[in-house]
Amino acid sequence: MIPPKEITYAGGGVLSAPPEESFVLNLGPQHPAAHGVLRIKMTMDGEWITRAEPVIGYIHRMHEKMGENRTYAKFLPNTSRIDYLAAMHYTHAFVGAVERGARIEVPLRAEYIRVITSELQRIASHLVGWGAWIMDLGGLTPILYAFDDRERILDLMEHICGARLTYCYYRFGGLCNDVDDYFLQGARDFVPYMRGRLKMYRALVTDNIILRKRLEGIGIIDAEMCRRYGVTGPVLRGAGVPYDVRRAEPYSIYPRFEFAIPHYPAGDSMARYLVRMDEMEQSLRIIEQALDQIPAGPVMGKVPRVLKLPAGDYCYAVEAGRGRFMVRIVSDGKDTPYRVKLRTPCFANLSPFEEASKGMILPDALAMLGSLDLVIPDIDR
Amino acid sequence: METPVNAPPTPDSPVPPECSQIVRFAKLDDLLQLSRANSLWPLTFGLACCAIEMMAAGMARFDLSRFGAEVFRPSPRQADVMIVAGTVNKKMTPAIKTLYDQMLEPKWVIAMGNCAISGGPFVYPGQYAVVEGVDKLFPVDVYVPGCPPRPEALIEGILKLEEKLTGKRRFPVAKLKE
Amino acid sequence: MNPTLEQLSQEFTRLIGPVPTAPAAPANPPPPVQVVDFAVRGVNLDVTVAPGQVVAAAELLNRHGFSIDTITGVDWLAEGQMEVVYDYLHFAVSLRVAVRARVPRDHPEIPTISLVFPGANWHERETHDFFGIRFVGHPNLTPFLLPEDATFHPLRKDYQP
Repeated sequence: MIPPKEITYAGGGVLSAPPEESFVLNLGPQHPAAHGVLRIKMTMDGEWITRAEPVIGYIHRMHEKMGENRTYAKFLPNTSRIDYLAAMHYTHAFVGAVERGARIEVPLRAEYIRVITSELQRIASHLVGWGAWIMDLGGLTPILYAFDDRERILDLMEHICGARLTYCYYRFGGLCNDVDDYFLQGARDFVPYMRGRLKMYRALVTDNIILRKRLEGIGIIDAEMCRRYGVTGPVLRGAGVPYDVRRAEPYSIYPRFEFAIPHYPAGDSMARYLVRMDEMEQSLRIIEQALDQIPAGPVMGKVPRVLKLPAGDYCYAVEAGRGRFMVRIVSDGKDTPYRVKLRTPCFANLSPFEEASKGMILPDALAMLGSLDLVIPDIDR
Repeated sequence: METPVNAPPTPDSPVPPECSQIVRFAKLDDLLQLSRANSLWPLTFGLACCAIEMMAAGMARFDLSRFGAEVFRPSPRQADVMIVAGTVNKKMTPAIKTLYDQMLEPKWVIAMGNCAISGGPFVYPGQYAVVEGVDKLFPVDVYVPGCPPRPEALIEGILKLEEKLTGKRRFPVAKLKE
Repeated sequence: MNPTLEQLSQEFTRLIGPVPTAPAAPANPPPPVQVVDFAVRGVNLDVTVAPGQVVAAAELLNRHGFSIDTITGVDWLAEGQMEVVYDYLHFAVSLRVAVRARVPRDHPEIPTISLVFPGANWHERETHDFFGIRFVGHPNLTPFLLPEDATFHPLRKDYQP
């Protein structure tokens, strides 16, 4: 705690400032470090935070209500816009839930392409999160490199589905387009290129003493706190728990690939940072294996013309860029869902912020906020 | 002896010929508009998906810096143009109105993306949370359609704003090959 | 000791006890503790409890090391009920449990589980926002995703803007 200040006046009188003079600082909805429209009402004691209360809802776009007003196919564009940095994963979850409920078979080639595009998307998502986080800490260079790498991935994605950010590439039963040799060769060339870049980032950023001083020991979220709050993704793996939906609830053809689940026990921001850097390397491994194994064949399975799910509820979870994303569709047999519930990772990842940031100094709290890698429309849906 | 510099001005050349290389006359307004157009400072107001394309436009590949607009200011007091990139929510309306009011004249607004133009893909009968277009809150100068618009489209929007300010377009419009 | 499906089924059956048949119950009501096919439904164990038993169910799963995944509200307008579905996941074993409870629609109240799982605090606030279900004992049931002065509950089936 800060000791009370004593002010000695020229006349000899001594005034003790009250020991706790707290004020409320509003990290408003518009803030360069807020990663979107997040508002945090912080009760401060000087530079120290006594209470940080996140206020959300500034980008609430009614995805769940729209799920009830749209047929299954018409809801697909919405899925990309929930978390636009990991758009493929979110479409994958919704498409998977419908395929599960309607028992639609997906051809093998389509599954392989889904895995390749998902892992490319994961790398792109981690790059933006990494670049924006280092920019919050004051390093303005890595984000330029990150966006440059990301442009290569986006060129490949644009080639196959025409969109750079909000793709609608997966459809019920497969994909909307097949990939051609340009994409496969481009993905193959991307892997060694990205490996070289990761090596550079390790030397330039990860081993940088300023970054280490800013992140090591900051913002500890341990495994028990993660369990009580339902935190998943790199935040959980940075607390030492090797939980990955691709292993825990295997979906698509992930059991065919060999990849490690990086986890670090420290639970601080540096651990979460290292998890993300290692995950990019593991994604490259998966892409290589998928490119070697990809078969020829159709990319679209048999789908009924009017898609209706039998009554009941169906869940499908994927490992999105930020954690576990689950879709729960409650169907009453019609061609629009009765209820679509989107369990988004950032909602759960932000919930321990209030407890974890007590007593932290403000720049450290922002470093921790960056380490959670939030996308605010993911929280608000 | 009359030196060339002291040569009297003639009606069709009010400036002595030797000086005309280095002296130009123009209206002060035009000069100010030219300088404002070439140094637009955007406000960092990315709300949703379009924010990422706005960031990409500022990055190395598409480079808004060529047009003088790379200095994104977080404070509205220091910004000229508010690029509303993303969906405007009813809960967000007081904040965005405050930001617009706090910007100093002259100020401009670019509505980037379908959400800022007219509510975008989030408009359906019975919607309760989205403001259908930021021009319901304050006047918009340039509309950049797309969901999200490509970074080149945002650059075209900036160029359109420059054209609105100066009356002249910086680069010729590309003609489609017939 | 990691929990197993059989162990959880038995403990839940003991917790729920004999289920009283409601006068309007269908002829073959689904069993309250059901082991379901993960490949179709996405969960392993589907449990139906009375609203008063949700806290005990949460404590049971907390003892076994589960984590709260999400809380879903569903508005069954035709049946005059609202359903709250609690999804739980475990970090060490691949088990997914869904706990459901139904409350009457005109008086939707259910005890809060935020004292057992602090993560449920936000999920319950959001469910209250969308459906108007009151979570008894919740420390802060104010609008969360909706504007601070909102009094409407938009995901109700009879909501008119």
